[in-house]
Amino acid sequence: MDGSKNDPNAAPYVHAHPTTESAAASAAAPELATLLTHEDVDRARDRWQVARARRTGRGAQKFRGVRLLWLLIGPGVLVFLGENDAPSMLSYSADGARYGIGFFLPFVVLTFLMGYVVQEMTVRLGAVTHRGHAELIFDRFGKFWGFFAMGDLILGNFLTLVTEFIGVRAGLGFFGIRPTIAIGGALVIVAGAITTGRYWTWERITMGLAIFNCLFIPAAILARPNWHSVGHALVTWMPLPNGNRYEILVLILATIGATVTPWMLFFQQSAVVDKGMQPRDINAGRLDTMLGVLLASVFAIAAILATAPLFHHGINAADFQAAEFAEALQPLIGHTGAALFALGIFEAGIVAAIAISTSSAYAFGEVLQTGHSLNRPLRDAWPFYLVLLGSACAAAGLVLIPRFPLEFVVLTVNVIAVLAMPPALAFLLLLVNDREVMGEYVNGTWANVAGIGVTLLLICAGVGFGLATVFPKWLGG
Amino acid sequence: MYEVTNKNGVEPVAVDDGQPRLEDPGVVLSLLEADQVVAAKELMRFGPQKLSRGTRAMFWCLRVYVVVMMIIVLVSVLQAFRAAH
Repeated sequence: MDGSKNDPNAAPYVHAHPTTESAAASAAAPELATLLTHEDVDRARDRWQVARARRTGRGAQKFRGVRLLWLLIGPGVLVFLGENDAPSMLSYSADGARYGIGFFLPFVVLTFLMGYVVQEMTVRLGAVTHRGHAELIFDRFGKFWGFFAMGDLILGNFLTLVTEFIGVRAGLGFFGIRPTIAIGGALVIVAGAITTGRYWTWERITMGLAIFNCLFIPAAILARPNWHSVGHALVTWMPLPNGNRYEILVLILATIGATVTPWMLFFQQSAVVDKGMQPRDINAGRLDTMLGVLLASVFAIAAILATAPLFHHGINAADFQAAEFAEALQPLIGHTGAALFALGIFEAGIVAAIAISTSSAYAFGEVLQTGHSLNRPLRDAWPFYLVLLGSACAAAGLVLIPRFPLEFVVLTVNVIAVLAMPPALAFLLLLVNDREVMGEYVNGTWANVAGIGVTLLLICAGVGFGLATVFPKWLGG
Repeated sequence: MYEVTNKNGVEPVAVDDGQPRLEDPGVVLSLLEADQVVAAKELMRFGPQKLSRGTRAMFWCLRVYVVVMMIIVLVSVLQAFRAAH
């Protein structure tokens, strides 16, 4: 370990460097053996399972590849199904209801591929450095820029959390459940998921809930879409949306914001670290992320297809909220379809509430250098759990305020997410190209081309939105 | 007992069909990477990167971009809110 001995004012730590050296083989092993924590032991238990599944030859397990994948999937699936949250599903529903089957189907697939490009980088960062995104930003770029990044994250996360509880309230409202009971029940589920004191258990519970995002598929089937039109739209991107160009631009921006947002970067990297993934797991992490992309894009397309009948029947969905979507769909796709849609919105809200509040708590813990792992018991890492539950409670409380302008928050959240994304991507790209941090796992040329391309696209979309707002006549407004 | 040597050729990890003996610190350390142990992470940090003038300029431009765009969003939301009521 090389200390920073030349600088008398240097921080009292040694410089880290990327390594795949086993802790048992390191020079510090005797010292580390006396400092092991509950978190280390739990993580070692997870690594033992992975090592056992990975062995080949004599003693190799049956279905070795499947078992290994089962053990290593999680952060990627969770981040994308978590991002198929209440405001995102409402954005997709608005796409379908206002413009039918056409441009937005392939556009959603494109945005998810953009999501893959950036999320794959967080897998590598987490697996190589074993540090969360906020921690690396503060370490490498200093507190000044770190606090800006945290400000964007906390504001975005809090507003998004509010929208998740709006989804919960609206989804269960369809079944006549009172808002206080719906929101209280959701908070109990969030609290229940985090009190396991074990990352693995938390991850499996949340994935179990997240898979119910598939409820949009039967809802879409009940809407009896014209599959020929679906195929045609996916291949040709036609028909293009017609109408108010400003509204179309906002919807495009909201659709991008439904797929690529700052909390996803922070969440997936921290989850990869908490899961204990190592550089040799990067390919499994990529597969996990691609699986998340695949599932989330199918479910998002299903939401568009489920609400497309509103467009075909000329129903104006411009100001619809979740419950109104379900109620409007009822005469068109039946009570079952509408109920599935409402349940889907509830599920989307609850899973995202868990993931987003966890993302905030990870970032707080990393910045304040307090315990920040779901493998830590409550008494060891109470500030981490307090932030997690406190942010969820505060957001839930806002939703219960009578006459709170819920629709505006829902519409604005995804737009804010897109606007806050370019600085977050700049930090990500600099970190993932930093050889001192990443060693041999730095970005290749194509990853940089794709990453910079996504960043420029988001900046152009944001600038377009700004110009259209300030000069509405440019878009014929 | 079987040994799984990882791709990078570091210490083999001992695994068998029973439960891991995690009360033994040596077993825990053999399953983790050197900078994966919580105590090691607290002792070692990636120091600050020297930011070039170009990088600092890019950060400032992006910060101005975010602030300006947030103001535009706020104004448009307030306008929409006023129009609705």
